[in-house]
Amino acid sequence: MTNSLGDIQKSKAIIIFGANPAVNHPVGFQHFLKAKERNNSQLIVIDPRFTKSAAKADIYAQIRPGTDIPFMYGMLHLIFKNGWEDKEFITNRVYGMDKIREEALKWTPEVVADVTGVPAEKLIQITTIYAKNRPGTLIWAMGLTQHTIGTSNTRLAPILQLSLGNMGVAGGGCNILRGHDNVQGATDMGCLSDSLPGYYGLAAGSWKYFAKQWGVEYDYLVSQFKDASWMEKNGFTLARWWAGVAGVKNDEKIENAGTTLKALIVMGNGITSVAQQAKIKEGLDNLEMIVLADPFVNEAAILTDKKDNVFILPAATQFETSGLVVATNRSAQWRYKVVEPLYESKPDQDIMFELAKRLGFYEQYTTGMLMRETKDGKLEMIPEKKTFQWPEDATNEIARIIKTIGLTGWTAERVKKHTDNWHMFDEVTGAGMGPMKGEFYGLPWPCWTKKHGGSPNLYDISIPVSQGGMGFRNNFGLEREGVNLLAEKGSQPVGSKIDGGYPEITKENIEKVLGITLSEEEKAAMGANWKVDNSNLIVEKCIEAGVCPYGNAKARAIVWNFPDHIPLHREPLHSPRTDLAQKYPAYPDKPNHFRVLTKYISVQSAADYAKDFPINMVTGRLVNMNGAGVENRASKYLTALTPEMFCSIHPDLALRHGIRNGDMMWVHSPEGTKIKVKAKHSLTVLPDMVFMPFHFAGYFQGADRTGNFPAGTKPYANGESVNTVTNYGYDIITQIPETKGGLCRIEKA
Amino acid sequence: MRKYIYALIALLGLATVAFAATDSQIWGEMRIQNILGYGQEESLKLGPLFTMLQHKYFAWIFLAVLIGVPGAFFLHYKIIGPKVFPHSEKKYYAFNLYNRIVHQVAAVSFLVIIPTGFIIVFGDFFGGGTLVRMAKNLHGLFTIPFTIVVIPMALMWLKEALFNMDDIKWFMILGGYLSKEKKPILAGKFNAGQKMWYWVAILGGITMILSGAMMYFLDFKMEMLHNLTGMSQIDLLRAAAIIHNVMGFAVVALFITHVYMSMFAIKGAVHSIITGYVEEEEVKILHSTWYKKLKDQGKF
Amino acid sequence: MDYARMKFYCDESRCIECDGCSVACAEAHELPVGISRRKVVTINEGIPGREMSTSIACMHCTDAPCEQVCPVDCFYIREDGIVLHDKDKCIGCGYCLYACPFGAPQFPRDGAFGAKGAMDKCTMCAGGPLETNSEKERHLYGQNRIAEGKVPVCAAMCSTKALLVGDAESVSNVFRARVMARGGKGSNSPYGWDKAYKNK
Repeated sequence: MTNSLGDIQKSKAIIIFGANPAVNHPVGFQHFLKAKERNNSQLIVIDPRFTKSAAKADIYAQIRPGTDIPFMYGMLHLIFKNGWEDKEFITNRVYGMDKIREEALKWTPEVVADVTGVPAEKLIQITTIYAKNRPGTLIWAMGLTQHTIGTSNTRLAPILQLSLGNMGVAGGGCNILRGHDNVQGATDMGCLSDSLPGYYGLAAGSWKYFAKQWGVEYDYLVSQFKDASWMEKNGFTLARWWAGVAGVKNDEKIENAGTTLKALIVMGNGITSVAQQAKIKEGLDNLEMIVLADPFVNEAAILTDKKDNVFILPAATQFETSGLVVATNRSAQWRYKVVEPLYESKPDQDIMFELAKRLGFYEQYTTGMLMRETKDGKLEMIPEKKTFQWPEDATNEIARIIKTIGLTGWTAERVKKHTDNWHMFDEVTGAGMGPMKGEFYGLPWPCWTKKHGGSPNLYDISIPVSQGGMGFRNNFGLEREGVNLLAEKGSQPVGSKIDGGYPEITKENIEKVLGITLSEEEKAAMGANWKVDNSNLIVEKCIEAGVCPYGNAKARAIVWNFPDHIPLHREPLHSPRTDLAQKYPAYPDKPNHFRVLTKYISVQSAADYAKDFPINMVTGRLVNMNGAGVENRASKYLTALTPEMFCSIHPDLALRHGIRNGDMMWVHSPEGTKIKVKAKHSLTVLPDMVFMPFHFAGYFQGADRTGNFPAGTKPYANGESVNTVTNYGYDIITQIPETKGGLCRIEKA
Repeated sequence: MRKYIYALIALLGLATVAFAATDSQIWGEMRIQNILGYGQEESLKLGPLFTMLQHKYFAWIFLAVLIGVPGAFFLHYKIIGPKVFPHSEKKYYAFNLYNRIVHQVAAVSFLVIIPTGFIIVFGDFFGGGTLVRMAKNLHGLFTIPFTIVVIPMALMWLKEALFNMDDIKWFMILGGYLSKEKKPILAGKFNAGQKMWYWVAILGGITMILSGAMMYFLDFKMEMLHNLTGMSQIDLLRAAAIIHNVMGFAVVALFITHVYMSMFAIKGAVHSIITGYVEEEEVKILHSTWYKKLKDQGKF
Repeated sequence: MDYARMKFYCDESRCIECDGCSVACAEAHELPVGISRRKVVTINEGIPGREMSTSIACMHCTDAPCEQVCPVDCFYIREDGIVLHDKDKCIGCGYCLYACPFGAPQFPRDGAFGAKGAMDKCTMCAGGPLETNSEKERHLYGQNRIAEGKVPVCAAMCSTKALLVGDAESVSNVFRARVMARGGKGSNSPYGWDKAYKNK
């Protein structure tokens, strides 16, 4: 989220594109409602179904799943046609908008209407209102990301905002709604297989930096891998790990150094929240060992037929442990323990420490928490510190190490102070009052120093860097094909010593760029660049000069290292419009994609899916459940609200198949799998689509597997997991499953 | 002065902004057309009706019946007195074992249902709680034996209970109970008064059973009733409550009458339902038409 | 006229059917599953411009019809307007349900042959006639938050602050401020005004 939830109250127009905050962020939705109330904001919702958020919208557009790019290009087409774009902003701070302009010419309202199903008048109405009511903010979530072209979707949305000059302003921005609390924290800590914590990537330089910070030898880390080259390769993803297990039937080539996955440890994750359940089951069945650490029995234990070497470890809940959590707007809060871990449950960290002890690397695992920076930019063991204090020392270690996103200011002490004094911060801006003046609630990153107050709105050049201002990051060089990639003159944070753009600051260029001279001590202490500088001198000098350490460049609309340099529309792999699938085909198949082969065009062109599977299938969330529902279905009141797995289906469609309200029905997928669910007549979906929640588990293709639950652990409600029938399809860059665009066939059970 | 007027106008203007313009989704004109609000036009207004009747009238009317009807009969007994017939004459076997068992079961049921019904109606007088709850449970429990016998009773005496010309004349002299004379009265096996009681007990009784059952089970789902009446579940319940109470007035009043007639107004009459035999003198006077028929048949 | 009158108000422009109120109530008072003191009702679901959700429980009427019809007179209306009843006196006859315009009274199927148990309804978190904050009171009626100066748990937990509770005047002020801010769009008339005070 570039801005914040409270900042939405300053928007004049809000587009919710593929998100459902009324259901998934009910308390946060207050800000949307207050924006409507206090700021006369126009709320526009674009979604395949009429959600609870749509019920509160001023304008609602029903869009075919997976056609977000045509819609946004349709908006851009009208914006450029009418001259509504912010020309100054584009010239000074955006690179490559011309290519977008070219592509947008093709997407007239009529073409958009044909592809997306949204009438031309509605597109015009929405664009007009959005362009004429600025600042406007763009909200999205899984509706944009869970597609094979998810990465293109999430690039075109900021491009839309850039064209209108809605970036870097209060009330504007791209406000992506993260799904669970602390999923932002998980992302920041690099819980993905393609990066070290803090977005440092997997290059050798990053590994060496972390080795130093963790107090271990680089070679020791190398010795934990097959060889150094494998350290720098992406691992498997949550979506496709099963492909790496021996015995799983798949015709895809695995790049795993000639070995297979033997064991899986799952800590608090819903295995059934990912597509292709049938394959996941195969993966589980063929593993040598499965370990599931959760407060409730993870449904993976129920799904698998494996009888031996399946271990269930009781993990403590969030109430039984404490530590730092990061909210969707990049701010930190402290979570306090309210009860000691019950029975034999252990907090996650204790489980991992115990594992580390038995695997023989506990010391290396924890040394980092016993270290600190020295005055001369080096690292040392804290004298007389023999044991670490959890979680404060872990928090401080994070603050010490992660500089890429400026977590330096996130000491445990500061974060706790904010949480303890949250009443001293403004609801809309997050600005502190009284003793907290000068700081923003939760110190939204980047929080460059231990004195910095946080950066509530990213890319805002109307305020100095010391108060949270900054331009766009310089990450891709200084120029490309003769075009300047740095910001133009006049576009720099207020109070900047430099007029216009500048590169990211390194030890090498700091004196030249900032026009300062360093002393000998400073030169000795300083790190190579702002991301690895233990002395933090680079950052301090920059802030003194009103300069942002990461540079001041143009945002790029062209990403030359992606398959599609500019976002292009491609039909979902399973498209109801076969004619459009031929006009806008999927990507070529991608080998060695997180160690597996991901198929695109070969799947899309393999069959005319629309013939046998004519119904759009959309999956999503319910307000009273989350994730795989393991926790919520064990609560009687939450379960009482939705006690059975169901499928929302339009009465017209249902009755054509003889399915009455409450009848059981089969949903068949092109993968050959099927589920048996209860039909719920609803007008929220169109007659060519069905909607199913993904929070149920325990049944598999009609078979009741709940007998596998250990005595007394079976949840109150069990049902089919919709991911048994979600279709094959994964994003080209991130491999997130295409659960928001698929096809199915229904019949009465 | 002007300032105040401007302020007032501004205030009124703001107030209308707050309360005028578009209607609320539920409470204004925009609302759903087929959900009729509690006291709205076109609704049956059973809610407010039931509330008003139960709050103001039902208990008082029941009290009036409880005091008035026995009171009237008390006066009758004192002023006119019972009709006495000698018991030495020949008897006729009018009510066989089946008749009597069925009647006794119904009688015992009524003897529990009616007093418990009164305890419920005057629940606050009895302090609520366990006593009244027990009464309510017994009230429902003893409905069961009555339900079992009501149809048999209806069938076994149906022929005798049908109205004819005699009954008009009977009503005109009120069965002769307003005089001390013993003139023959036109009546079949059952006189008009008994017939009236029969129909109230049977039809009224069935109504009480059905309306009572609806209130007891609350969430009975009878599609037929909904389709027939077009009423919502809650309106059906309200109707049931109103009907149960109103019918109750009639049933209680006539029950008391029946008890007075059979146990006090005609001395010894109650024996006929215990032993099954009726007296010749009694039949000759009170059921003259029936007497003639029996005489012709040689029964007397 | 100086006494506060406690009232609920649900602003349907803000209600998103999150059911936080009904779950909070059930949890706080440990109700049996199936007794919903508070329910969220959505009408016209799926119809743009007409879908509407609102949270309904006992409205604690000034002229409470339930109190008027009870044969055992087990209701009592507090000075601050909260309508409560005595479960020990209640005989479970159902009259209060027939009289209530909102369907607030609930009956558990407690007794033999499916006899209705004592009536249960929203207490506005004000407990019952038993000793305040005693174990007995909590067991029969749920928490008594009003006695502790706390907000009824449904409104406290409302995600969007659609559900307001408190002195009628304060609630009106909050709602009026919202309506003015909206410029008169959305819901703007309090419950039943045009019905209750319509001049015939």
